[in-house]
Amino acid sequence: MFCYQCEQADRTGEMLGCAGPLGNCGKDPATADLQDVLIHAVKGIAQYATRARALGAPDEEAAPFILYAVFTTLTNVNFNPTRFVALIQQAAAVRDRVRARYEDAARARGQQPEQLTGPARWEPAADLDGLLRQAPSYRVDAGLGAVGPDVVGLRSLHLYAIKGICAYSYHAHVLGQQNDDVSAGVEEALAYLAEQPTETEELLARAVGLGRLNLTVMEMLDAANTGTFGPQQPTAVRTTPVAGKAILVSGHDLRDLAALLEQTKDTGVNVYTHGEMLPAHAYPLLKAYPHLVGNYGGAWQDQQREFTKFPGPILMTSNCIIEPYPAYRRRIFTTGPVGWPGVRHLADRDFSALIKAAQAMPGFRADEPEERFITVGFGRDALLSVADKVTDAVRQGAIRHFFLVGGCDGPTVGREYYRDFALGAPDDSVVMTLGCAKYRFNGHDFGEIDGIPRLLDLGQCNDAFSAVKIAQALAGAFECGLDELPLTLALSWTEQKAVAVLLSLLALGFRNIHLGPSLPVYLTPGLVAALVDTFGLRTIGDPAIDVAAALERSAS
Amino acid sequence: MTSATEPRTGSAGEAADGAVPVTLHTVDGQRLEFPCAPGQSVLEAAAEWGAALPAACRQGTCGSCRATVVSGAYDLGAHSTQALPPGERANGGVLLCRTFPREALAAELPYGDSRIVYGSIPVREGTLTALDHVARDTVRLELVLEPDEEEGGGFQFDAGQFVEVEVPDSGGARRVYSLANTGNWDGVLELYVKLLPDGLFSSYLRERARVGDRLTVHGPQGAFGLRETGLRPRWFVAGGTGLAPLLSMARQMAEWQEPQQAWFCFGVNEEDDVFGEAPLQEIAAGLPGFTHEICVRRPGTRWQGAVGTPAERLAAALRTLDGTESPDIYVCGPPALIEAVTDVATAEGIPQDRVFRELFLPT
Repeated sequence: MFCYQCEQADRTGEMLGCAGPLGNCGKDPATADLQDVLIHAVKGIAQYATRARALGAPDEEAAPFILYAVFTTLTNVNFNPTRFVALIQQAAAVRDRVRARYEDAARARGQQPEQLTGPARWEPAADLDGLLRQAPSYRVDAGLGAVGPDVVGLRSLHLYAIKGICAYSYHAHVLGQQNDDVSAGVEEALAYLAEQPTETEELLARAVGLGRLNLTVMEMLDAANTGTFGPQQPTAVRTTPVAGKAILVSGHDLRDLAALLEQTKDTGVNVYTHGEMLPAHAYPLLKAYPHLVGNYGGAWQDQQREFTKFPGPILMTSNCIIEPYPAYRRRIFTTGPVGWPGVRHLADRDFSALIKAAQAMPGFRADEPEERFITVGFGRDALLSVADKVTDAVRQGAIRHFFLVGGCDGPTVGREYYRDFALGAPDDSVVMTLGCAKYRFNGHDFGEIDGIPRLLDLGQCNDAFSAVKIAQALAGAFECGLDELPLTLALSWTEQKAVAVLLSLLALGFRNIHLGPSLPVYLTPGLVAALVDTFGLRTIGDPAIDVAAALERSAS
Repeated sequence: MTSATEPRTGSAGEAADGAVPVTLHTVDGQRLEFPCAPGQSVLEAAAEWGAALPAACRQGTCGSCRATVVSGAYDLGAHSTQALPPGERANGGVLLCRTFPREALAAELPYGDSRIVYGSIPVREGTLTALDHVARDTVRLELVLEPDEEEGGGFQFDAGQFVEVEVPDSGGARRVYSLANTGNWDGVLELYVKLLPDGLFSSYLRERARVGDRLTVHGPQGAFGLRETGLRPRWFVAGGTGLAPLLSMARQMAEWQEPQQAWFCFGVNEEDDVFGEAPLQEIAAGLPGFTHEICVRRPGTRWQGAVGTPAERLAAALRTLDGTESPDIYVCGPPALIEAVTDVATAEGIPQDRVFRELFLPT
């Protein structure tokens, strides 16, 4: 096993990354190795898919398969080796189908089909043991001795950005949004990696290109969410339980939540959001369900303690699952790309087993005496509707600066920075947030500026497009570039979606982003220097000093 | 994040004089560390520390607490060679209920952390809702448990686990039975009991048991269960009431729509002993890739089905594989069956660590 895709990667040894016996995320060596093999297999699909698409013969089912398969390999998504063995065999079958389609299309045009190599010609072993024997050849750092750490680091950056893009695209896809340019972009990026590129300048330039591709994806996802459930509205969300049977839904997948709300309608079971599902309360067509009663708990890394105490079953959609404790292992369910060995997986959004569990369990016996609320729902539509008020406040000096403090939370040390940074923002500044890092400070009363809340929750990490649109609107209003706005970004990252978002922000021209709590271990000192030089990327330091420096930069 | 390399440790109070440290490793990377006092078995020390390890008889006869010692000297108390065959013992195999460390001891557990009950083993009361003689000397019981304060009305367990049932009016004597159904939210347990001539629970069932009786059960417990080994086929070999835990596993596969090919062979001595056709057919109807057969060792003239012992049927089936992937084998039944199936698997080249066993001994 070797994996260094997330911020939790082991940094204690000579070789940075998790090499077993378990990854710091809880991933076992077999699962880690099978994920490497699956990525290799998917690259083979992409090699043929790009060529089939170029000949006007795309395989419409291959694109969503790639999204789903790659999504299963993100941090904290799927830990079930059996699922990966099945996916690898499926991937080989999809590749062979796409290959046949490509070769038929080529011959139909009088062309001789290319004889591809690498993943395109690879044959998976028939069983688990055989696949594990194959896996070492497909490690993410394969070829390190030959091409050196910078190339391997950039290939890794590519792969992880692709993973993030696939995850976001999958979320859009399940809501009916698909874009041929995105499918083509993903396939092209994977096919590029299959060729084992070695040119660092080209790799870096293409990485920024992936950021642009991700921007298209984020726009597509924004359209999917708001188009399906209506634009977010500022909404006070109860964070203390009410009496009654209860289901807790975590992860990011709004489509799954919508299906569950419909299936629990009139059953007497209340539904609570957890972690990144919190912004669901802001969507009109979701909050219209009266039994979507509130938010329970905090960010994903607290789930073992919180799920243990929750008196009902739990549904994990998309990423963020960590090892289920015995206390709730038999009442947690997975769906979509998520999986854990021995945990019941619910396919096709049939949540009847989950609902039955909720009805059998005690639920909350009484209302929590103290009612507490947090306000969410400041997506781009809500915020842009008061854009004039915001720009007036800036012009009049009531708002001096904007901070975007967000991203993924996590268990690693140093993340208190984001709380201190947000709380340290001066009273004449606005703090925008998204992702689950917000749980570190969203219980605090930030007050208002001329009726504008000082803390604006834009949504999930999936809603990064809102932040971009807001920044672009401000830049338009003030007739300046994005890097000239009185706006500072402090991003907390854990996994691969954040990598895709970071590349999008860099591609858009955002500079001086504070990234932490640590930088990815696959970025060598040379690559970090290049990113600092090119994009002004900063690591996090002392929050008070960073806030002061941001204000000073803005003032100058 | 959970660090699977951080050991579970807890307070065992004041370590007794002469106590030695015991370290246990689960198959999923969890590490348990606790002191073991002189004269205390590892099983007892773990329980005192707060971890109920899978175990049933606690007297060296059932084999439920098997483990493998990797370092450290110990005394192994009296035990059944059926529960711990000499060959296993020679390779470090122990029964933790009979293992008394003389120095720091490390052992590997053949199951994951989820099979360890931290705290006390749950005790639930229920009502007997079905009592059916399904074959000669075999009774099927169904109980519905009272709701639990914290867990509610459900009864969740892993396929392959067992419960201990208190025998009514016996002063608290318990008997161990594997669960034949799957974890559910209705609080239902399904058990198959072989009626023994002088069995304590058998006597109760034969003479006094009535639908509506109240029973107390302890559990779920036990390490036997399905293993995640990719798409490798799963073959189930059951003898007599050893059907129960394997039926539970196959039922779970059907409920969860698991993708592995599965073959189920259930054997009895005579055709009057046959039961379980309906649930097996129900599984076959709902689980693609599931096939099953019932075999009778000494058939009468009426028997139209397979003839022989499950081990013989297994040997014949393995010989038909012809290059296709060999299976994991799950076997449950009396010692002779376990031994015969293990021998067949060895002869056909299936490694020992792919034969998962649960021994049934008469109690």
